[in-house]
Amino acid sequence: MTDRVPVAENLFEFSGADVALIGSRCLTCGTHYFPKAVACRNPECDGETLETTLLGRRGRLYSWTVQAYQPPPLFRMQPWAPYAVGLVEIPEGLRVMAMLTSDALDELAIDMPMDLIVEPLYVDDAGAEVLTYKYRPGAAA
Amino acid sequence: MRPVYVLGVGAHAWGKWPEKSQLQLAIEALSAALADAGIGWRDLRGLVAASSRFEGGLGWGLHANEVLQAVAETGIAAVNVGGGCAAGQIAVHTAASMVASGECDVIAALGAERMPKGFIPRPPGQPDDISDTDYLRWVAMGATNPAYWALEARRRSHDHGTSAETYAKASVLMHRHAVANPLARYRKAITVEDVLASPVVSDPLHLLEVCAVSDGAAAVVLGSEQWARRSGAPLVRLAGSAVATGRFGDPAVRIPTVSVSAGGSAPHTSEVTGAVHGAQEAAGVGPADVDVLELADNSAWHVLAWPENLGFVEPGRSDWMLDRGEFGIDGELPINPSGGFLSFGEATTAQGVLQVCELAWQLREQAEGRQVPGAKVGQSAVLGLGANGASVVLKA
Repeated sequence: MTDRVPVAENLFEFSGADVALIGSRCLTCGTHYFPKAVACRNPECDGETLETTLLGRRGRLYSWTVQAYQPPPLFRMQPWAPYAVGLVEIPEGLRVMAMLTSDALDELAIDMPMDLIVEPLYVDDAGAEVLTYKYRPGAAA
Repeated sequence: MRPVYVLGVGAHAWGKWPEKSQLQLAIEALSAALADAGIGWRDLRGLVAASSRFEGGLGWGLHANEVLQAVAETGIAAVNVGGGCAAGQIAVHTAASMVASGECDVIAALGAERMPKGFIPRPPGQPDDISDTDYLRWVAMGATNPAYWALEARRRSHDHGTSAETYAKASVLMHRHAVANPLARYRKAITVEDVLASPVVSDPLHLLEVCAVSDGAAAVVLGSEQWARRSGAPLVRLAGSAVATGRFGDPAVRIPTVSVSAGGSAPHTSEVTGAVHGAQEAAGVGPADVDVLELADNSAWHVLAWPENLGFVEPGRSDWMLDRGEFGIDGELPINPSGGFLSFGEATTAQGVLQVCELAWQLREQAEGRQVPGAKVGQSAVLGLGANGASVVLKA
């Protein structure tokens, strides 16, 4: 079976169908961060301890755009085609930017429920599928 | 603190200038500002430079030092300030503070930039891991800067009903203003049809609704009242300026981050809002007193959203203001008579200084062909990488 590797370390976890983003939660004020934060940024909070937490499994579409121009080479996608980038509001109090599944461009609508998934962006030189996190239209929460 | 006056302003035209170094652009802009002030290099007691992001500065952002070493080894104070695309106005603010404190009688603030082609690259030396969110946004989703503005634009359409034609009209207005500005790079009037026929960059934003990148340079000479009266030019006072950073809970999708607070209480684009309010407070004016506003229109969305976010217009009312011509030169709140970023193309650190130059020309009634009638109070607003905001208020 082909190896599947994340596009970056410490960004998301995936095991079978379960996919979650790796973030932080402040143990004092409860604020969530994605990706992991070095400290709680709430100026009213004196808490010094963050715990690593999994978040963002589902949310609602806050806004989106279709990226029509090919981004610079740091971004790899094979084959390249215009794709959607969305801002998804998750129950943890954040709006998270992510690619949206490309077969769903014409059904996207603000406030629609979204589920977190992983999908391959490209195959790397070692033959492994390089995965990124994406949201796709999901069942109502 | 003593009052601070604008003694002179000057700029090099925006464009692509492959035959000129960034240092050359800087020297030409500063020379023009000094000539405008009727003083020489040897009269300067300080030079504050916005540290360029892409070229020169002896490789370490030492742009003021580089200019002085190249042109006038007078021994004066050189200060170099960072702040991404807000650095130009952070430089003006710093220079103003040095005059207000009595430290300098005459000082210049400078911004000069030669931009790489296309999408703005990552700064050198950053790690290739997600501790650099700029790396993260590229590898994980290829989110270009216009994609961020497009997310805001589509949401605005959802919240306030802004149509594709209204975004196009915002760009048409900026280009119309630039027709009369010899410093602007794009000086051709365009139509709504032209905008909507231009390629989509990040839906709903078209190519003519996002700013290009350009080379350019601008300089402002500030000084004490005694020096201002010596020149005999119309008196323009730098009545207030402020620098601010982003606040916790700000809902703006800030380049290059990939998440934002959904339930916070801070205002949208709080770094700029904070700077605008701070500069107004320092100048003793309110939004209704501002006769002309120069703001950072990186996209057509900014032309509509910023007047609201910054407290000049009720939320959702900008579309109506634009439709009625109230953002035009003869309108209730003239925005970017210079033509703005959409007509200049952004020369990052120089852009904030250019805004202050334009306000000075407006307040001296020297903005030929784009003059806001009777402008007495002008305000600027810029946003920079790293949640930097800056704003300047000038009074005639």
